[in-house]
Amino acid sequence: MSAVVLLASSVVTWLLRVGFIVIFPARRLPTGFRRVLDHAAVAALAALLATALTREGGPGWLLTPSPVLVAAVAAGLVAWHTRRMGLTVVVAVSVLWVAQLLT
Amino acid sequence: MTSAPVAVSAPRIELAAARDIVPVAASVVPFALVIGSAMREIGVSGGVGVLGGGALYAGSAHLAAVALLGAGAELVMILAAVAVINARLLVYGAALEPLFRGQPRWFRWLGPHFLVDQTYALATARDDLDEPGRFRRYWLVAGLVLGAFWVTAMAVGMALGAAIPASSPLNFTATAVIIALLAPRLRARPQVLVAAVAAAVATTFSSLPNGLGLGAGLAAGIVAGGLIEVRRR
Repeated sequence: MSAVVLLASSVVTWLLRVGFIVIFPARRLPTGFRRVLDHAAVAALAALLATALTREGGPGWLLTPSPVLVAAVAAGLVAWHTRRMGLTVVVAVSVLWVAQLLT
Repeated sequence: MTSAPVAVSAPRIELAAARDIVPVAASVVPFALVIGSAMREIGVSGGVGVLGGGALYAGSAHLAAVALLGAGAELVMILAAVAVINARLLVYGAALEPLFRGQPRWFRWLGPHFLVDQTYALATARDDLDEPGRFRRYWLVAGLVLGAFWVTAMAVGMALGAAIPASSPLNFTATAVIIALLAPRLRARPQVLVAAVAAAVATTFSSLPNGLGLGAGLAAGIVAGGLIEVRRR
């Protein structure tokens, strides 16, 4: 059963991946729609981040100080200033670890 | 005949891809360990788990499918959940479609397999991938390196099983990658507004099942971006 589930899930996911690339190429979509897609990356990343922070700190994550929020803010500042992925991840985990020890 | 030494001094896109993806790939290791451990818990065999990890190549949907399978859900229910969670890949595909034009047929059908949040964000952050061969090499190196880390870590997670803690500071690395991809983009007001709307809506609807809150946030952010475009003109 698990093999069937994983295989079928893979097929569904692959169809979503190729959907607007080969099955119905996005160049056939209206121009306005395609221009709006320029904002999709920021929207997706912000929604992913909010979902992750809600899982850790509940719907009030932004208003309740928590180790995860402190680590997220620290990581955001490092990423904004340096654009360095590895450094951002190391700072995030280190700050979270220390903040959890202190609380 | 001597060949021109162009290739020697040209920037190596494969190296750039590796530099971009290795920190990302290392950071998804804890997530893959947790998924591997979860598969072991519900009795998925090692081969199926590892092959499934490479074939699905999508963490959140994989974890949801395993959890639903463990809870005895019907196949149709599981596939519906996977489709909803991964619906955003449809949007990513639409955004990256210009880069897949002028590519060989095999790459147009198989290349998108490596489409995930991180590879999408990395590719859109670069402005040097317009040449088809260059994009193809960047995309394949990034996708294969990420896949190698992903599948290996999942195999280790399956081997270790319950020894993998469900929660530790290391599990924050996947979120840290999202932050590292997002923060540098927030330099102008439209982007900040789009991010704020997407985050607020995703948080508000976070109690909905199967990543529907995430989808709502993505949709709201894109609509906000559209409204900003309309007002500009």
